[in-house]
Amino acid sequence: MSRMVISTQSLQVLVADDEPVSRTVVGAMLKKAGYIVHFANDGDQAWSQLDGENPPAIALLDWEMPGLAGPEVVSRIRGRKVPTPTYVILLTSRDSSADIVAGLKAGADDYVTKPADQDELIARVNVGARVVQLQSALAERVRSLEEALANVKALQTLLPMCAYCKAIRNDQNYWQKVETYFHDHSGVSFSHSYCPNCYERFVKPQLDALDDASQAAQKQKRK
Amino acid sequence: MSEPVLDAAMIDNLRQLTPPGEPDVLAEVLELFLQDVPRRIEKLRAAWAAGDAAELHKTAHSLKGSAGNIGAQTLFGVCRQLDDKGRAGDLTDAKPLVDALVTEYARVEVAIGLILRG
Repeated sequence: MSRMVISTQSLQVLVADDEPVSRTVVGAMLKKAGYIVHFANDGDQAWSQLDGENPPAIALLDWEMPGLAGPEVVSRIRGRKVPTPTYVILLTSRDSSADIVAGLKAGADDYVTKPADQDELIARVNVGARVVQLQSALAERVRSLEEALANVKALQTLLPMCAYCKAIRNDQNYWQKVETYFHDHSGVSFSHSYCPNCYERFVKPQLDALDDASQAAQKQKRK
Repeated sequence: MSEPVLDAAMIDNLRQLTPPGEPDVLAEVLELFLQDVPRRIEKLRAAWAAGDAAELHKTAHSLKGSAGNIGAQTLFGVCRQLDDKGRAGDLTDAKPLVDALVTEYARVEVAIGLILRG
């Protein structure tokens, strides 16, 4: 299961703030901690990155931005139905506890006051990274369980089997050997052997025939 | 007697953010400050002259953020007072604060110049 663990080093973080000095400082702090940093100058840019392909796992959003403000971006993020939701940290002023409450109610996971203290910022982003990793491991687990469940369902349904050669018709309308079909849908492997009835019917006559043939050959030699 | 224009510990923290072999983060941030802040001080003065409390709140708020990030504590304090006044919609005693903002920015500019030439 270790392949599911995303290293903190490769996590992408979005820093969205219209104020360039703060944006640059926060970005430099995150880079130093090993994160891959993306920037947005306003709420619209932030949303287009978060709604795009391969979006950052963690977003630091300024509360007061031109275009879409922080709370609006948060509610759009929460409106998306994805297995691994973005971890959202709001950047707010130290003196606006009403904003903090409103931000958390809107769906933010945490907040950091500006100007950001480096140690506190990184500690909070690391918490976010941990949550993101747990969620993605969980999503992977759910996905593999759903796959297993689908296979179980396939085995429970009526299987069309050839009355003569015992091949099974799969979902793609293709006739598979019974061993192959069960191996594909359940991971069961077959070892080939014979039952006592078949021993009498098929194996013994072959052995007897072989025996007769070798005796005949020896008689021939002695002549 | 007066507090330093720029907080030495904050400046030192910024200096240490530079990864090995990359451009100096401190210089980048300070240059950005010099490029960006005068423009926003002009906007704030215009907002004050027009009696636009909402715009004054917005510009003072973002200036406060810039000042805080480079440890310009006095400038930060002036911006915070203007931010509060703008938010409250009361600009009656804002004039001395707008003047103080301009004066303090001049001091910050000098201090930054010293570091950048350092």
